[in-house]
Amino acid sequence: MRAFAALLLKEEMALFTSPIAYVVLTVFLVIMGYTFTLTLFVSHAPTLDHIFFQIFVLLLLTVPIITMRLVAEERRLRTIETLLAAPVSEVAVVFAKYLASLSLVAVMLALSGVYALTLALLGSPEWGPIWSGYLGLFLLGAALVAVGLFTSSLVGNQVVAALLSLSLFLLLWIIDHFGWLLPDPFDAFVVNLSLLVHFKPFATGSLFLSDAGFFISVALLGLFLSVRALARR
Amino acid sequence: MPDMVIVDTLFKRYGPRVAVRGVSFAVAEGEIIGLLGPNGSGKSTILRMLAGYLPPTSGGLRVAGIDVAADSLAARRRVGYVPEDAPLYDGMRVSEFLRFMAAIKGLAGKAVRGAVEMAVGRLDLEPVAGMPIGKLSRGYRQRVAIAQALLGDPPVLILDEPTNALDAYQVIGVRALVRSLAGRRTVLLASHVLAEIERLATRVMILRDGELLTSDALGEAGPARRFRLRVGGPASAVLTALREVSGVASAGLDTAGSEGRYLVETAPGQLRPADLARAMVSRGFALDELVEARPDLEQVFLALTQRASAAEARAA
Repeated sequence: MRAFAALLLKEEMALFTSPIAYVVLTVFLVIMGYTFTLTLFVSHAPTLDHIFFQIFVLLLLTVPIITMRLVAEERRLRTIETLLAAPVSEVAVVFAKYLASLSLVAVMLALSGVYALTLALLGSPEWGPIWSGYLGLFLLGAALVAVGLFTSSLVGNQVVAALLSLSLFLLLWIIDHFGWLLPDPFDAFVVNLSLLVHFKPFATGSLFLSDAGFFISVALLGLFLSVRALARR
Repeated sequence: MPDMVIVDTLFKRYGPRVAVRGVSFAVAEGEIIGLLGPNGSGKSTILRMLAGYLPPTSGGLRVAGIDVAADSLAARRRVGYVPEDAPLYDGMRVSEFLRFMAAIKGLAGKAVRGAVEMAVGRLDLEPVAGMPIGKLSRGYRQRVAIAQALLGDPPVLILDEPTNALDAYQVIGVRALVRSLAGRRTVLLASHVLAEIERLATRVMILRDGELLTSDALGEAGPARRFRLRVGGPASAVLTALREVSGVASAGLDTAGSEGRYLVETAPGQLRPADLARAMVSRGFALDELVEARPDLEQVFLALTQRASAAEARAA
């Protein structure tokens, strides 16, 4: 447990002392602030619906940047050799990297909470959809970070890792459009791979176990494949 | 002494390429083993497998009595490993990195502080303890890499090319350090620099294309025994007499020495120095000096690698 705490601390330090974290946070907050203000002035509605879909897109774009260096950089600099010759398991290394990156996503979501507070100050928003929206975003983040970690552990080049996960995310975002074109029963299978299809109910305040199960399954699969990729030496 | 490292018919394949082919050897406690071979001969691969970083394709590996495949974590706790080129976290400060490595090696609380202080003191890292690793010179980087290997006081130390790219002073420093670290520790050291191995190792293993060509103690690794003699009398008569002694394979003037010096080569086990001395004295020559010449590692290395190439050519 102490070894895992040391691994997690190392990953958190590496992430939060790198410029990447602050660039991502800044870009995220600037874009979100603009969208929130504009939407509020135009609609005068105390809801965060639009904001949640905006965050959904921004997570697809920023998570690859957060996760690209996780293993790829260690492979390129060969520090992975120093790390894994120590008595630590691949599971511990992967999980520490995963939790550290997920914590940055959590910070992004927590900072966007200021918009919910603003709504509460100016009006009386409905809190149910807000809580479910944040739950959906966190689960989405958990799935995306695991997939990003997997692509980073597949290749030795950070940029390739980022492009690979970005392509995967964009494909999973719009895959339902292709899914509807397929014959039964393939259409349902492909449509159910869509990130947006599973996220929409959360953003509008409907909680389904199947949607949460989808994101959790993707996260577990990503983590499992990351461990396998790291163990393949 | 018990064997600290046992390697049994070890194979490592990377796809179709075989990096290590059926290597077997054992290392006793306290030995300093030098792994010698050209680049790509499988030295680093063997050391990485011993360090628990690479899984072998087949074969057995035991470190300090623990099967590396069955209990990799326990085996890794007993090994300090310094990878080639000292890959370290450049963004971390030296003391921060050593504390991190101590923690992931299972040390806690006061033990972390004690181990880090010991390693910093042993490697003279006090002046750079607060500096980021990325700003260190190569010599200091190498010392930090060795310092992390010493954390937890492992009984087996593995160093892959520890003096690579260091200047002469740094090489002397690292060499002295490795000597001081040995003793009760078992040290395995890889290098492609012959002089390095000759100065440090008690036993040398020569590898070529993933195969172990020899694993003899230095001084016994030679294909033949050689003696240097200083004998009075005319050179032609001395050489004739030397060649007549049974067991002498060849005799000639020792070009490295002054006049009256000769070099005799025998087949292993064919001739003892006392027999050679008796034969020369009985022939009426004044024998001033007779010493056994240690085989030159460079010659052993070239002879073995060339012999292996010739055998392959014959087989083809």
